Order: sequence, then structure tokens, then C-alpha cells
Amino acid sequence: MTAPDFTTGPIVSVRGLTKAYGGRTVVDHLDLDIAAGEVVGLIGANGAGKTTTVECIQGLRRPDGGTIRVLGLDPVQDADRLRPAIGSQLQESGLPDRLKVREAIRLFAGPDAVDADELLERFGLAHRRDYAFGTMSGGEKQRLFLVLALLNRPRLVILDELTQGLDPAARREVWASVTRLRDAGTTVLLVTHELDEAEELCDRVVAMRAGRVLDAGTPAELVARHAAAVTVRFGLPPGRPARELAEIRTLSGVVDVVRTGDQVAVVGDRSTIAHVGAWLVRRGSVPPDLRVEAPDLEDALLTLLEGPTHGEEAA
Amino acid sequence: MSTSTLTATAAPTRAARRHPSAGRRLLTTELRLIGRDPMTLTFVLVFPIVSMLIIGGSFGTEPDEVFPVNPSHWYVASYFFVVIGATGLIMLPVRIATYRERGVLRRFAAAGFPRWSFAIAQMAVGLTAIAVSGAALLAVAAPVYGVPAVEDPVQVGAGAVLGSVAFVSLGVLLGTLLPSARAAQAVGLMLFFPSFLLGVGGPPPAVMSDALAQIADKLPMAMANDVVRQGWLGLGDATGNLVAVAVMAVVLTALAARRTAL
Repeated sequence: MTAPDFTTGPIVSVRGLTKAYGGRTVVDHLDLDIAAGEVVGLIGANGAGKTTTVECIQGLRRPDGGTIRVLGLDPVQDADRLRPAIGSQLQESGLPDRLKVREAIRLFAGPDAVDADELLERFGLAHRRDYAFGTMSGGEKQRLFLVLALLNRPRLVILDELTQGLDPAARREVWASVTRLRDAGTTVLLVTHELDEAEELCDRVVAMRAGRVLDAGTPAELVARHAAAVTVRFGLPPGRPARELAEIRTLSGVVDVVRTGDQVAVVGDRSTIAHVGAWLVRRGSVPPDLRVEAPDLEDALLTLLEGPTHGEEAA
Repeated sequence: MSTSTLTATAAPTRAARRHPSAGRRLLTTELRLIGRDPMTLTFVLVFPIVSMLIIGGSFGTEPDEVFPVNPSHWYVASYFFVVIGATGLIMLPVRIATYRERGVLRRFAAAGFPRWSFAIAQMAVGLTAIAVSGAALLAVAAPVYGVPAVEDPVQVGAGAVLGSVAFVSLGVLLGTLLPSARAAQAVGLMLFFPSFLLGVGGPPPAVMSDALAQIADKLPMAMANDVVRQGWLGLGDATGNLVAVAVMAVVLTALAARRTAL
């Protein structure tokens, strides 16, 4: 087979994708582009249409409307040519329990496969070659799926709920594996409702609700747009003059100051952290209970999900 | 705007030509796995042999008004079809339903295995299980009861091949229709044991009531077994049942192939 011809266009281009099950619209005129080398995360609540979207991109489901091009091909019409070029970690999929790791490698390795031993080594599975799939831990199974997904030099890797059901240590192992993919320039579409995972791994995230894109951008951009407020908390001894609170209010970036007993909460944008810190240092005493509550992607998504629905927007 | 594309497939490289195709890799793997499948070993290999040894020795070796031939030979000839029935009604439905339940088929589809490769692999798995277990059954029977000479090789061959294809296809079809491995096991056992007792490995038709004998005559497994047993023991022509089995084989194979396309 000739090598894929890479240029600068999107690896995945989705326009107006629509899919319904039994009259219930699951994906609703969705647009999505993924550039070469990007790690893009689809995030959203359960039932947002994330998995259906990637299944349409893989050609495992036939869209009701819209167009999809993956590496320039139609995922349904050109399934035979396209599927070997996509490495997949599918949600809730497995292998036969009695299939050994080395047999799984032989089964999935095409003629242009990479050195499987090197992959197994890289993903910490070299010592598991003769183990049956059913005897492996959850983390080992997920890492094996990653190995299989990467085996045939895929142009696009799709990872759906990669760390679902894994313990924290196993999750970290798998994250490290995806980070290595990103560093190697592999294009990855990651589907997750673990927002710390998306924040850790993705160059760009696409927030979905009811089959539509609510917003897209880098994790930092989404946080800035939808959950910008930072809260700096510290204690002030009783009896400190109200003048001090008034001073804090004048600091750049501060939006509000709330005093509850001897506790002060300063709310503002991210620059508030630096300005309040500097003010405390100037006063000559940094409170030992000083802490910062910075919003993350989860806060941003919650804000997005609490926003008006399409119908409400229209109204 | 330019796009990233997969270019047209050119002639395969020498390495690609040497590399086994995806369909062949799947077939090889599936054949390797049947030897590790407890359902196969229990119901397809061990159960027919043990049952044949027990019942084959229960009625002596002399023909009488119930058994038109040596009773041991009657059961040796009959139990070959127990292997076929167990493969089609128990082993394959459970195996395939388990694959579906665990998302193995989706993984095969997503990895780009050819559309018909899974159907072909399962047909091959079923036929291989029948061939190996059938040979083992006869190998065990030979020193104990002796293997009767085949009186009509054409009828026996046609019955065994068409019956195997029909029941393997039925097993593949059931595996794709039943929602879970447990459901497949329950339905498979419910289909297998009445057919086994009434039409293949249970009491001979001569001792059954008329009603039971009539029901037994209409069971697909009994019809297919009748073709093999009649031809094997020289008990008469079974062309009608052979045609019925051939029709079953064609229809079930078409349905099974359609349902298992990746």
C-alpha cells in the first residue's frame, strides 16, 4: 500500500452531522475539524452524542445527514480503505478472554505494522506477552488497546472513554501513554467525560450538549470564557480595620470582596492572585491559611451545561 | 484548501504479499481459540463421547424389535450427529453472543477486518470442531463398540456435510440474534436437549408414543440425523429429509452470512 499523502488540511472534517435513534436526535448538525497532530477532546454529559459522533467518524454508524471526510475519504463508502488507517480504542469493547497478548498482536498487525515488541516495551506490556487478555488488569487491558490502536501506523487515533473504570494509578499510566502519542505528533480524538483528563491531554476541547457543539477551544480558553472568576481566601485577625478591605477592593482585577467572620474571600480575574499576593507581602504578613480557588475545565463545562438549551436560545 | 488524504492503493509490496491477509489472520486465531473454549470441550467433545459410551452399552449388541441393527452401532451412528447439534446449538451461539456482548465484533469491524471474514471464520470454526470431535468420537467408539461400515457413503457424506453446514449456520445466526451469552446458553440448551433426546441420542422411535415419534420426525436435528443414520446403517433411503436439510443449509447460510457481516 502506498503511504498516505499528507498535506496541511484537516484529518477529520465533519459538516452538519445528524444522527437520530428511534426519532430521538442524538447528534444535531454538528461541525468538527481536527488538524494533523492535534489532540482534540469531545467533552459533555452522558448522552451528549460524543460516542455516536466518533462512531460515525469511524464508519461504524451511518449518518442520517451531513458529510464526514476522514483523510479525505467517506467513512462508510470507503470503510475498507479507511478503517485500517484509524487506530481505535472503542468504548466497552474487548477481546476474547483466552486470546494472549502476542496472539492479539499477530491478529491485528497488518503488513505495515510497526515493531510490536517496541510498542509493548513502551507501554509496559513486554512481560505480559504470554498472558491471556482475561487475566490482565484494567490498566493493562487499556494499554493493550492503545498498543493495538497504534500498531498499524494510524493517521488518526480515536480513544473513547479510555480510562473509564480505572484506578488512579492506572489512569496516570494511560495518560502518560497518550502524552507520548501527543509528543510524537499523532492526531488523537479523545472522547471523555473525565474533565481532568481532557485538561491534561487535549490541545483543544469541544464541549457538546444534546448533539450540538456548545463551544470549542483550548482548555484554558474555555475556562477563561466560561469560568473566569478566581477566589483568593485568607484569614484576617479580628479587629483589622475595614480600610484594609477597601484597599483590596481597589486592586486590579478584583471584582468583589466578602468578609465572613475573620475569613476574607477576594473574587476576581486571574490577575487577582498576583495582586492580592503582592498586597499581602507589602503588608508584611502572609496569612498561613492563604489559598487560591482557581476554576478548571469542569467549572467551565458546568457553566456551559447550565446555559440555555437550543430551544431556550431560540425563544 | 488542500486536504489530508489516503492516496489510491497501488500494487502491494513484497512484504505485504507475504503477510497473511486480515481474513486469514482472523481465521487462524479463531481456530486456535476453539481448543481453549470450555464450552467446546465440554459439549462438543466430551459430552457426546461420554453419552455414547453410556447409552451405547445399555442395550446389548443384538438387533431386536426395537433396534433394527446392533444397538451399539445405532448409537455410534447417531452420536456423530450429537457433535453437529452441540456445535450448532450450544457452542457457536454462546461464542458469538459473548463476542457481541463484549464488543469484540465492534473491535474487529473498527480494525478493518473484511466484511465477511468473521462469518467465514465462524463457519470454519464450527466445521473444524465437528470434524475433530466427530473423529474423536469414532476413535473412542472403535475399540469399545466398533464402528459400523458405511452402507451408503454418498447419503452419509451429503447428510453430514449439509447437516453440518445447516447447524453451523444456525449457530452463527442464533449468536447474532440473541442478546447475551446467557440468553444464548439458555436458548441453545433448550433447543439442543429436546432434539437430542427425541431425535438423536435418546430412545429409539420404536419405543416412543405416536405423538412423540411424530414430533421427533419433524425436528430439524432428527431429520438431518436420519439422513446420516439411515445411509450409514443401510436402513433405507432418506432423500426427502436430505432435500429438507439442503434447503436449511442454503437458507441458514445466507441469513447467517448477512447477519455477521462486519
